[in-house]
Amino acid sequence: MLVLFETAAGYAVFKVLDESKLKKVDSLYKEFETPEKANKIVKLKHFEKFQDTTEALAAATALVEGKIGKSLKKVLKKVVAKEAHEQLAISDAKLGGVIKEKMDLSCLHSPAVAELMRCIRGQMEGLISGLPPKEMSAMSLGLAHSLSRYKLKFSPDKVDTMIVQAISLLDDLDKELNNYIMRCREWYGWHFPELGKIITDNLAYCKSVCHIGDRTNVAGSDLSELLPEEIEAEVKLAAEISMGTEVSEQDISNIRHLCEQVIEITDYRAQLYDYLKNRMMAIAPNLTVMVGELVGARLISHAGSLLNLAKHPASTVQILGAEKALFRALKTRKDTPKYGLIYHASLVGQTSAKNKGKISRMLAAKASLAIRYDALGEDTNAEMGVENRAKLEARLRYLEEKGIRRISGTGKAMAKADKYTHKSQVKLYDPSGDSTIPSTSKKRKLEEMQEEEETPSKPAKKAKKIKKEPVSEEVGETSTVSTEETPKKKKKKKSIAVEPKEEEVQVAEQPKEKKKKKKIKEED
Amino acid sequence: MKPGFSPRGGFGGGRGGFGDRGGRGGFGDRGSFGDRGGRGGFGDRGGFGDRGGRGGFRGRGGFRSPDGGGFRGRGGGRGTPRGRGGRGGRGGFGAGRKVLVEPHRHEGVFICRGREDALVTKNMVVGESVYGEKRMSVEEGETKIEYRAWNPFRSKLAAAILGGVDQIHIKPGAKVMYLGAASGTTVSHVSDIVGPEGLVYAVEFSHRSGRDLLNVAKKRTNIIPIIEDARHPHKYRMLVGMVDVIFADVAQPDQTRIVALNAHNFLRNGGHFVISIKANCIDSTAAPEAVFASEVKKMTSENMKPQEQLTLEPYERDHAVVVGIYRPPPKQKK
Repeated sequence: MLVLFETAAGYAVFKVLDESKLKKVDSLYKEFETPEKANKIVKLKHFEKFQDTTEALAAATALVEGKIGKSLKKVLKKVVAKEAHEQLAISDAKLGGVIKEKMDLSCLHSPAVAELMRCIRGQMEGLISGLPPKEMSAMSLGLAHSLSRYKLKFSPDKVDTMIVQAISLLDDLDKELNNYIMRCREWYGWHFPELGKIITDNLAYCKSVCHIGDRTNVAGSDLSELLPEEIEAEVKLAAEISMGTEVSEQDISNIRHLCEQVIEITDYRAQLYDYLKNRMMAIAPNLTVMVGELVGARLISHAGSLLNLAKHPASTVQILGAEKALFRALKTRKDTPKYGLIYHASLVGQTSAKNKGKISRMLAAKASLAIRYDALGEDTNAEMGVENRAKLEARLRYLEEKGIRRISGTGKAMAKADKYTHKSQVKLYDPSGDSTIPSTSKKRKLEEMQEEEETPSKPAKKAKKIKKEPVSEEVGETSTVSTEETPKKKKKKKSIAVEPKEEEVQVAEQPKEKKKKKKIKEED
Repeated sequence: MKPGFSPRGGFGGGRGGFGDRGGRGGFGDRGSFGDRGGRGGFGDRGGFGDRGGRGGFRGRGGFRSPDGGGFRGRGGGRGTPRGRGGRGGRGGFGAGRKVLVEPHRHEGVFICRGREDALVTKNMVVGESVYGEKRMSVEEGETKIEYRAWNPFRSKLAAAILGGVDQIHIKPGAKVMYLGAASGTTVSHVSDIVGPEGLVYAVEFSHRSGRDLLNVAKKRTNIIPIIEDARHPHKYRMLVGMVDVIFADVAQPDQTRIVALNAHNFLRNGGHFVISIKANCIDSTAAPEAVFASEVKKMTSENMKPQEQLTLEPYERDHAVVVGIYRPPPKQKK
């Protein structure tokens, strides 16, 4: 009888030398107490070592599924088929069935076999010669890790460490680049200071410096690929009348080296940014769709890993990055910040200042869902992120529109009652009607009296109204309306005294416009 | 050296090695030994002492993390809100306090004596906390040895040791099979005990916990992670040799059968088993004592001889640990 024994290092086929001992199942273990005794019962016929970890992994997965792997097939054909009359003892009954079917070898599985396997396993190092136990344990450790990784569908492109490192490198590069560019400008400015003032773009500056070298070469060189026409002309002009000093070839060559470095680093930065975008899309597609690659990467980097970020509640995601402000506000019992890193997301950037807080909260809530989906979900598509983003954009539009609608005034909005603002009604006594001296004509007097009544009351009411205005300016948009409608030549710093006159004139001209002004109602 | 950093990826502390941006520097070290979850929101911040201005996200107790199966390892007491109990006070192990470490009766386990006593194991991976537990360094002549605190509220084995179990059989150099390894919190302590000469085969079926377990196993080379169902030991027969002890904390109704299957395959003659039984899990309607008795009976029928049984009060309710021997060598009759 042959015995098939699988190990992490390879397949072992034993031959049972003394089958009678197998009958006495209960005392079988006694025969395996020492390696010498064990070798009397079974003998190693063949040991098929795995060539590398991939082969071992394939064999292990086949074993888990109960199928015949390639290496097993090889072993069976090579060794067992030659002695087809012998039965093959195996540990797994299902595998035995498959072997019998495919290779027509009779297999055996019974309690006696199980006991035999136990004993062999106990004496593994003694029976399988040429395999030190350290190697065996190292192989089984490696195989266990690869098998587990395979099971967990561990894919190397879903490792978020790359993101964290890439974004830090991006920040580092930016800092370094800035330093180098400043140094370059300063250094070359010694020789040709005007160039720094003419060319504001850093990359163009460095390229020009590389191209030009010494400023005497400017006249002859062609900078049209690097700079637009007018700037090139300016540069040529400035080169003639430059007040910088002369410098030697060596100096120029060093400056040139620096500029080349800058150009290289800028290129690399662009490449790195591309790489980061790709990784973000691969690792967290939903988050990328919602907030963008850069903000998403910063969030992940801030939290440490995607899984950590997923564990944070949405309110934390909203203010991630503003911890200093948050804890300061909590300690001094003031208002906490409304946004952290999320502020730089495009959705928050597009809204008006008033709605940024609202949008930031909504975005954080949906982004938090997207993050959890990416970190813990099984499939990786961006559907959910796209849907959520569409929802958010719709809500954003509604928010913006809500503000606009109130200005134009639909019936619904007009019918809506305004927020109550307390307007104190103080009636001053008008002494002009006190006169008992008879006037010339009663009719005229009446008109005069009417006019007089109105005009003093107007400024009085106006004064109160003006006082209320600055208060209500924060409350509603009506005051913005009023300020807009005053003639534009007026500067913003209007004195309140000036206002009543303006408003009077205006009201006289356009009585119907300001529905808020009680004046209109009076006149109407 | 950055204190309190746990291995990346699996646990709440991963950083990628730069700056204190995540603000989780002192997570494991400061504050009390024991559950995070019980802590109130920002009340503790002052006491922690803002290192680097980041009171930040240290107190995950403030953000009560969900008790779902997904988030194990860090973040809050999963189902053991009585974590406050024995080791509540922050006074116990403040930073930089002098403590005395002496060996426990069980080999490989130590007791740390300070203002409060704690069960500790020698840290195999110096400088790293696995699940945010406190670490303490002790000068031993010229060398510094680091020990990690072992929380009895989170680990059944620690609860059994503190409960006074006679023998755990897990000792340095032993080969242990751990069924129900979860995120590797107790497995790491077992790995500390058995040391580099021993081996721990950690079997866990859940993928979420398996990921965390893999991360723990990355750092500790004496842990062999097996992401398989323990009900089918033949599926991982290729990876496992014969073991000396089986520790089972699977919480399944048929757990005795699972342990028996694994024992028949991998436990040597005269080897021992330590099984943690949760009465509620086997049969929630029966009385706990009856459940324990029926489990013991099932064990004897499988050639597993129980030797001692003890309940895990006050750390767990209606839990018991049974220690026994498998296929005991026949008594020499003289």
